[in-house]
Amino acid sequence: MLSGCGSSTEKAAATGRTFTDGLGRTVVLPEHIDRVVSLAPSVTEMIFAAGAGDKLVGVTTYCDYPEAAKQIKKIGDTQTPNIEVIAALRPQAVFVTTASQIQGFMGKLESQNIAVFVTDPKSVKAVEENLRQFGEIFGTQTAANAEADKLSNRFAELNKILQGTTRPRTFVQISKEPLYTAGKDSYLTELISDAGGDSVTKNVPTAFPKLSKETAVAMEPDVIILSASDDNREPNEIFRNSTAVKSGRVYSINADIIARPGPRMAEAAEEMARMLHPEKFADNKQ
Amino acid sequence: MRSRYKIAAALFATLAASIVLAIAVGSENLPLFSLDAQQTEILFDIRVPRVLLAAGVGASLAAAGAALQSLLRNPLAEPYLLGVSNGAALGTMMAFVFFSNFEFARPILAFAGAGIATAVVYKMAKSRSGMSVERLVLSGVIVTTFLSSIIVLLTSLLDAAKLRSFTFWLLGDLSQASATGFYYVLAAAVAGTLVLSSQARSLNLLMIGERDAFDFGVEVKRVRLIIFTASSVLVGTAVAASGSVGYVGLIVPHLVRLAFGSDNRLVVPFSAVAGAAFVVLADTTARTLIAPREFPVGAITALIGAPLFIYLLRRAG
Repeated sequence: MLSGCGSSTEKAAATGRTFTDGLGRTVVLPEHIDRVVSLAPSVTEMIFAAGAGDKLVGVTTYCDYPEAAKQIKKIGDTQTPNIEVIAALRPQAVFVTTASQIQGFMGKLESQNIAVFVTDPKSVKAVEENLRQFGEIFGTQTAANAEADKLSNRFAELNKILQGTTRPRTFVQISKEPLYTAGKDSYLTELISDAGGDSVTKNVPTAFPKLSKETAVAMEPDVIILSASDDNREPNEIFRNSTAVKSGRVYSINADIIARPGPRMAEAAEEMARMLHPEKFADNKQ
Repeated sequence: MRSRYKIAAALFATLAASIVLAIAVGSENLPLFSLDAQQTEILFDIRVPRVLLAAGVGASLAAAGAALQSLLRNPLAEPYLLGVSNGAALGTMMAFVFFSNFEFARPILAFAGAGIATAVVYKMAKSRSGMSVERLVLSGVIVTTFLSSIIVLLTSLLDAAKLRSFTFWLLGDLSQASATGFYYVLAAAVAGTLVLSSQARSLNLLMIGERDAFDFGVEVKRVRLIIFTASSVLVGTAVAASGSVGYVGLIVPHLVRLAFGSDNRLVVPFSAVAGAAFVVLADTTARTLIAPREFPVGAITALIGAPLFIYLLRRAG
């Protein structure tokens, strides 16, 4: 670091290991990592699941799971992390979910020799791979691989249970007013499919579109799943004559487990499967 | 005078045509003359109420803009730009937070917010040497940003999820039209426009100058109070139902004056008619262009309004 900018990178490269992050960037990380900061609740959950929760020295105010995450130093929220607090924690790396989140201070972090690692898995497969990669990064392969295997097994098990079932037409209501749903680019669309449903909004562009109410009515959902929040406790009024509402098939699911692609995805898929196919889980009370 | 009748007829025809068009198109294709039960529901519970709400909001904002411009002798006086819409938005937000069970709290507090914002902007802009175009615009900017920061502060302090819908709503969004909620907006639009139009003669004299108007027997203070109250009712009900749809009160009266001249007996009521047509068309664009997704109607009105604002500002300066 004292010998100038160029050589410090070379030195890091010489002593560190290289990884490819979620954006395809090559990131050099130290041989031994024990101080990192997470800038997203999903990343915090992933790091804990990979058995490396004790390496976290800073997380966002939204990072509330697992319980131990609440005790870690808060560095601001996901949108407005405090760079000074982060720097003072002297982390070796900062983990983020999108490049835009850090554009403003990426240079600043890297100039202080703090690596920036971007990761944003959008499918079960990607979450699994991400867990295994975290195992390598933190040297916690045993725990991370076990967690990844567990995730993969739970989905395989679910798939077996749901074989041969018909797929109910499912509408995910993210916000009641204005009406937001999960679209083509949301991993929720895949998750619903894993849970044995068929998202009626699977072809609507973008991840979380504001949907025309006319189209929402015409989609005739059999089941409505609400992402639980204060302003989203019931289906939008326009659904009052839908099959879902008339047959009482409206369910609410913890917003966090469906909003954070991570280790709790299996939990989310299983919970939705019980909503979509209660007959298959008769012995397994919710 | 005869050509004015023609223009007036054309204006009403345009309004009728835009309403018919808006009812005919949407994200769902509805065969208007052979509807099944579900299509009937989509048409009468979703589309028609939204079109009528758009008409009410457009009429209200345009009529209020026209009257404020004449009263303040300023072509740039507009509810949104003066911060009046933001005052109404803050009032609506308060109603949303503190009186969520009382339906009419929204328009009532929105009216109060609009009224207070109007009074503050007026006091700030008025100086001994009169009220310059720039001074009023700057006062509007200050009130707008001040109110915006309170709204942002409240959003951060209060439960974020509860107020999430507000960020969208602040841009002006008509998707929340309910099957019956548009009635009071339409009623307020008609009543408010009639009240403003009843002051048209005084407004004409006020355009020359307050002292001249006074010499002609205009009770300036009384007229000002009536205009401020009526326009606050109009803006309050519109904002409570649809958020802050900007620039309507700027674009529409400007075009109406190009067609009819500056006589407020024509400008005020015809601004209401043209404003209704304008917002109906703007919202039809907002809900069909990227269907089945939508964007806020305020984005379209601002896209048209901002360049016009610059043009008018250059001309006024």
